[in-house]
Order: sequence, then C-alpha cells, then structure tokens
Amino acid sequence: MNTNTSRGEADLLVIGAGLSGLMAAWQAARAGLRVHVIAKGAPSLHWTAGTVDVLGYMAAASATAVADPMNALSALPGYHPYSLLGAAQVRAALADFLALTEAAGLPYVQGDGNWLLPSAVGALRPTWLTPQAQAAGDARRTAPMLIVGFSGLRDFYPHLIAENLGKQGVPARAAMLPLELISTARDRNAIHLAHALDEPQRHQALGRALRQLVQPGERIGLPALLGLEDHGATWAALQSAAGAALFEIPMLPPSVPGTRLFQAIRRSLRDLGVRVDMGIEAIRSHTAAGRIEWVETATSARPMRLSAACYLLASGGVLGGGFDSDHTGRMREVVFDLPLTVPQRRSHWFRAEFMHPAGQPVFQGGVAVTAAMQPCHPDDPAQPLYANLWAAGGVLAGADPIQERSLEGIALTSGWAVAQALARR
Amino acid sequence: MSSFTTSWQSAGPSLDECIKCNICTVYCPVAAVTDKFHGPKYSGPQAQRFRENGQPQSPDHSVDYCSGCRVCNEVCPTGVRIAEINTRARAALAAQQGIPLRNRLLGRSDLLGKMGMIAPGLANFAMNNGLVRAVAEGVMGISKGAQMPRWSTQGTFAAWLKRSAARRLKSADKVVYFHGCSTMYYEPYVGQAAVAVFEHNGFEVLVPEQGCCGLPLLNNAEFAAAEGYHERNLDYLTPYAQQGYPIIGTSTSCTLTLKEEAPDMLDIHTPAAHDLALAVWDMFEWLRDLYQAGQLRTDFNALPLVLPYHPPCQYRAHHLGSPVMDILTLIPQLDVRESAARCCGGAGTYVYKKEKYQIAMDVGQELFDFVAEQGADVTVTACTSETCRWHIESATHIPCRHPIEVLAAAYGLYDLHARRLLKE
Ligand code: SF4
Ligand code: SF4
Repeated sequence: MNTNTSRGEADLLVIGAGLSGLMAAWQAARAGLRVHVIAKGAPSLHWTAGTVDVLGYMAAASATAVADPMNALSALPGYHPYSLLGAAQVRAALADFLALTEAAGLPYVQGDGNWLLPSAVGALRPTWLTPQAQAAGDARRTAPMLIVGFSGLRDFYPHLIAENLGKQGVPARAAMLPLELISTARDRNAIHLAHALDEPQRHQALGRALRQLVQPGERIGLPALLGLEDHGATWAALQSAAGAALFEIPMLPPSVPGTRLFQAIRRSLRDLGVRVDMGIEAIRSHTAAGRIEWVETATSARPMRLSAACYLLASGGVLGGGFDSDHTGRMREVVFDLPLTVPQRRSHWFRAEFMHPAGQPVFQGGVAVTAAMQPCHPDDPAQPLYANLWAAGGVLAGADPIQERSLEGIALTSGWAVAQALARR
Repeated sequence: MSSFTTSWQSAGPSLDECIKCNICTVYCPVAAVTDKFHGPKYSGPQAQRFRENGQPQSPDHSVDYCSGCRVCNEVCPTGVRIAEINTRARAALAAQQGIPLRNRLLGRSDLLGKMGMIAPGLANFAMNNGLVRAVAEGVMGISKGAQMPRWSTQGTFAAWLKRSAARRLKSADKVVYFHGCSTMYYEPYVGQAAVAVFEHNGFEVLVPEQGCCGLPLLNNAEFAAAEGYHERNLDYLTPYAQQGYPIIGTSTSCTLTLKEEAPDMLDIHTPAAHDLALAVWDMFEWLRDLYQAGQLRTDFNALPLVLPYHPPCQYRAHHLGSPVMDILTLIPQLDVRESAARCCGGAGTYVYKKEKYQIAMDVGQELFDFVAEQGADVTVTACTSETCRWHIESATHIPCRHPIEVLAAAYGLYDLHARRLLKE
C-alpha cells in the first residue's frame, strides 16, 4: 500500500485555516454539515491587526480612504469578488461574523462608516469592523490621545506614533512606563506579555500607573497586549482602574489581536465538533470525471488521502502559501493545479514602482471563480472546472486586497457564501 | 508515483524558509513557562546562522532546554523544521562538552530494560524508594519526582510470546509487529493487546528480531550510537519490508523514528532505509486504513466510559490527523474527549532530568487541567506514548492506558483495569 487514508466522512474538507476557511467551516457546521479543516501551519491571522478591513481604498485611486465601503461596493469592477458575491451577501456575512465573535466572547463593533485607527507607526488604517478594544482609537473623533509605551518593549515607540498622529491633525502626546509593570521575565514577546497581563495584580498595577499619567478628557492608546485568554475582562478592569477610555494599537507580528481572533474561532469550531488539524499540508489531488476524488497530504512517510463530498480551497494565494513558483516565475496553485491569472513571468509580477497606485500584478492574480465561488477557467466564468470544488479568500482573482485593504472582508464574505451554498444543496 | 517525495523538507535547507514571524515562539510550551529557554525562533533558525557561519561555539546553550515536542514545527507557516535544527544543535553542543553519564543512561532504554529485568522486583523497589531516588538525584541529576517505569514482573514480552506460541494464530495475512523497548521490558500487556487485536482481525503476527529504534539516543545527543541501532534495525527489518509486510508499531515515537527521524537526523538515505520507512505504520494509522478498506471488525462491546485522550507530540509529527480518534469513536458508548493541550511536558527523557522536572510539570498543566475538567468519574485516560503515559499518570494519579488496550477491551479480549488478556 502506498497511500494511507483518513476516515474521511466529511461533507466538506477545508484547506486552509485563515479567516475564509474558518468562516466557511463555522457557517457550514452550524448548518449541520460535517466539516474538517486542515492547514499547513498557523494561519496568517497571527500577523494581522485583528481588524476586519472591507474596503479601505479603491484600487487605483488616490490616497483618500473610503468613508463607507457599503456605498462604494457598487463602483468595483464586475470581476471583483465583491461584485460576484453582491452587497447583500457581504452584509449578511459580516453580520454573522459579528454574531460569531460576540458569542465567542471577543465582540467586534461596527461604526458609522470606516473606522480610522492608528497603526504602530501612527498611520491611519480605514477598517470596517474592529475588536472593541481598538474602537476608542478612532481618529475621526477629536478627543486628545495619550500614547503609552514601555521601556524595553521593542517595535512600539509612543513618541513616533504621537508625532505622526499630530501631523494628521489628531492631538496626541506620549509617555513611557517600565515594562516591569507587566513582566520581569526577559525577552518576552507580545503574546507572553498579554498572557501575563491577564493576572489581576499586574493589570491593577498598570491601571494605577495609567491613572497617574492621564489628564481629563484624554483617551489612552497602548500596545495591543491587554490580555489574552481573559482579554475582555482584563481590558475592562484596566479601563476602570485607569479611569479613562483605553484602546489597543496592533504591533508587529506576532499579533495579539490576530491570535485572539484565531483562538476564539477555533474554540467555537471545537464546540461545533469541527477538527482543525495543523501541520497537515495538502500537496496534490486526484480528480476523475470532473470531480475531486481525494486530496493528498504529506506525512512522515507515505502521503495520506483525505476525501470528502466537497472541497474548499482557502489556502491563501501568494501571501498565504497557496501558490508556489518555480525559478522561471511560473506560478502554480499547489493542490488542484488550477489555472491562475497571475502573470507567468517573474518580470511581470511587479511594476517598476513598488508603491504604484495601480497595485502589483502578482497580488491581484489568482483563481478565477464563477459567481458561486467555484473555480473556473478565466475565459469561461460560467463553467465550474470541478463539480465539488470551491475557492475563497486570498486565492481569489480579481482583487488586490493589500492595495484595497479588503483582505478580511473578501475572506469572510467568500467563505460564508460557499458555506451558504453548500448548506442549501 | 514516487511516494516518498513529501514536502516536509529535511532540517537543513528548511532554515532559509524562516520569515521571522515568531509564531513558533508564541506556541512553544517550554518558552511559555521558563526564562531558561529563549524559544524556537531564537534557538532554531536564528542561532543556526551563527552555528553555520563557523562560529567556534554555538551562541547559546539554552537549546538544551528545548524538549523536542515539535509544537513549533506544527505551527510554523513555512514548514521550518525547528525541532530538528535544535536536536542537531544539541548534538553539536554535546560533541564539544561531552555527554553526562545520566544522559547516556537515559538514552539506553534497551540497556536499562535488560538490567532491570534481572531482578524486576528489586529494581522496582529501588526506583520507588525515596532514599535511592534522592541519591540518584544528588549524584546523577535524575529528578526524584518523575515516575519511573515499572519493570514487568511477569517476564518480558518476548517471554510471553514464547510461552503462548502454541496459541498464536496462523494465517495467510501477516503483519510484522514492532514492539519497542517499553513493551518488551515494562508493559508487555500493551503488546499482548496489540497481538490480540491483530489476531481478532485475522492477521498472523510476526515478531522478528529487532532492536531499540534509537530515539532516546537521538534526543540525548548520541548520534553515533543511534546510527548503530538504526543500522541493526535495517538489517533485521528491511527484508520484511521488501517482501511487502507492513511493519506496525504501538509506540508512536518508535514508528516516527523508523519512518523519518533516524533517516533524517543521521542522513541515512539508502534504498533500504527508504523501503523500511515506507513499510512502517503506526498501529492506529494501520487500523484506520483497514477500517477505510472495510476490513476492520467492528464487533465492539459497549464501553461506557469517559476517556480523556491526549495525542502525544510525536503523533502529531506523523502528520496523520487523529487516527486514534477516528477508531476509538467507533466504540459504542465510549465518550472519548481529545485534549487540545500542546504537550504533556514529559517529552521522553526530559522529565527525568532534575533541572527540567519543574518545567515538565508546568508545561503539562494545560493537560492536567483538561483531565480534571472532564469530571471526577474519570477512571482512566489514554495516550499512545509510553513516557507520556507515565508522566500523565504521576501528575493526575489516574491510570493512563494505550488506546490499543482500550480497543482490545472493546473487542472483549482484554481487561482494561487489570491489564491482562481475558483468554490467556
Ligand atoms: S514560525 Fe517558522 S517562519 Fe515563523 S519565526 Fe518560527 S521558524 Fe521562522
Ligand atoms: S520542540 Fe517544543 S520545546 Fe523545542 S522549540 Fe519546539 S515547541 Fe519549543
């Protein structure tokens, strides 16, 4: 025997544990489908800001941020995933995401239009849904900010942030506190610090120090490490100890807000009986008569076969590792070898100017899909290539999620839509 | 189809795939509980650059605190084999500094096994005697709190096989059983349960001569000795592999070593090593395959138990999903609850080292809490790895069994509590 089979009774095998795959898994499991999620490693959620960007900029437009994505969706080209999905599905998917995070104890909030939240260098990020702990940082409000950093904490410089915010018209000042308030261990990363702050003694001490620093009317921005497992309670307790509104500013990876979101959804999936197996890398598939028969994954010896009634490719495209390229620049989709709209010569991947307003071709290309999110040939958008294969998230062609700031919105909506379609079958 | 081309790169080149995201450090259970270990990214890909660039000494000795649990490998988004980089670094360190007698002893589970079997009652007494353990800790650094395995007082597994030879099933369908040291000397009943399950499904069990897989030596930085062990197993077992027999083991760490660890760490990539690796199966991996082919007997008795099950780190390193869950969930009324804890903390011989004992207990807390949360009526837990079972048992004070014992019990062949076959 050369291969090895898993019990394989799933209705849906999801390849990839990013937002699109997790959202699809959750929605499908809620509808009663048996779902199995596999991923090569931890998903890129671990290095995102933890917010849900839906549409921050129109792809080729100027530097002005989109004020309300729901009003801007109709201006996108017809091949864009949002156009294929339609505004009604976008709204419904985001509403379900709010319900999911609320139930998981990590509530997200929607504002009136895009929030404008500070980044770790003090730039402003237009985003549609934010974890509640980032909301008070909205730069559309004029209340002054106090940005607090910790001496010895790398990659978070409050003075730089305050200065840049000031240049953009947001009144802000900076202050430093000793890192020992949180932890005396050396060489801690943000996740370890966040975990340490869950301890009441520590966050009470930090809260008291903040109360000393803050002036009336100020809101306080802190690096995003305000608790991990007990984040909600930690953040609330800190806020009342400090006597001011607190907001988190996401730091460089590994990102605490992104990690929290991953862990919250993973817990919800476990409660629904969905397995999320990491360290399982899909390497190829077997097809017959227009259907996917099984997917093969790498093991410590012979490959393993996984079969299911339906398959969702949510492996994340160029950035997530779903596409691979050889030395000539021929880019291929790893598992199903689907046709890609990525330029097939390395010299065509990037424009000469890296910040070109039209974006980079290599990030815009991907798997073309039908309106029902089934992979198709780019020239024949009505005809699915396989009867039981869908795609969602970063693998999709037709968007430039980096330039547009639409990564999470496309992931959630497309993953949700696939699950809805499967649940109806 | 070339079936051996998995994309899990060998440890060396995978170094270059590191994108410095630090996710490994986020999930490393050892870095989370101690300052003595600087975490996988630092000790692995980062420090390796210095090691490779001809630096006289590795830049940090904290890599000795890596337990080898491979949680880092599992979460790394780009497939860097951090744990293997660390194992090699430990070996390089040992080459400079020498290996303490304690580690040499702990690395030789076969030798320890044989020595104890000379007078198992006495050996068990000594191992559970507070004074002896205090001396062992003081003189050799073997932690006195860690639970030592108990040598079998009913003879070795081989002795049982001999005794029961007349009762063993003959069949055209044959499998080779790899028992490993722990079944041989400490827990022959695990092997008995395995044999009973094979025979119940109509397979004749062959147990050819075999040696220790060498994993304890690899983990204790004795690569040269481990190579000798692996070469011997190649001589013993490859002929069976080449005749098409599956070689099936109940110890997940032994099977992982035969499949991947030994060839990779020791750079033994001969056709024989390749043939052997492809013939080796973990017990539940093989059972799942049998089930999938519609050939596994499912005449199970109901087993009304809540069973917390911990998939050990080595199992996850097989990259097989959870074959144990896939099979045990077929048993009526058995409520198996899989732990999501990263590691039990024991990590093979790690917990036996005085300076690491507390770390092992702290790492395992996640799992011990999980077991406690399953309620007071839990009478037994399960894990596929022997050293983990001993560690879990000593921390939770609840007996921990191999899942094959649970399966044999469900077939009505085995007494799960007394640990013996019903019909022998
Ligand atoms: S998880 Fe992998 S890629 Fe990320 S820092 Fe660790 S070794 Fe490097
Ligand atoms: S093998 Fe385990 S202890 Fe060692 S670095 Fe990786 S996660 Fe940490």
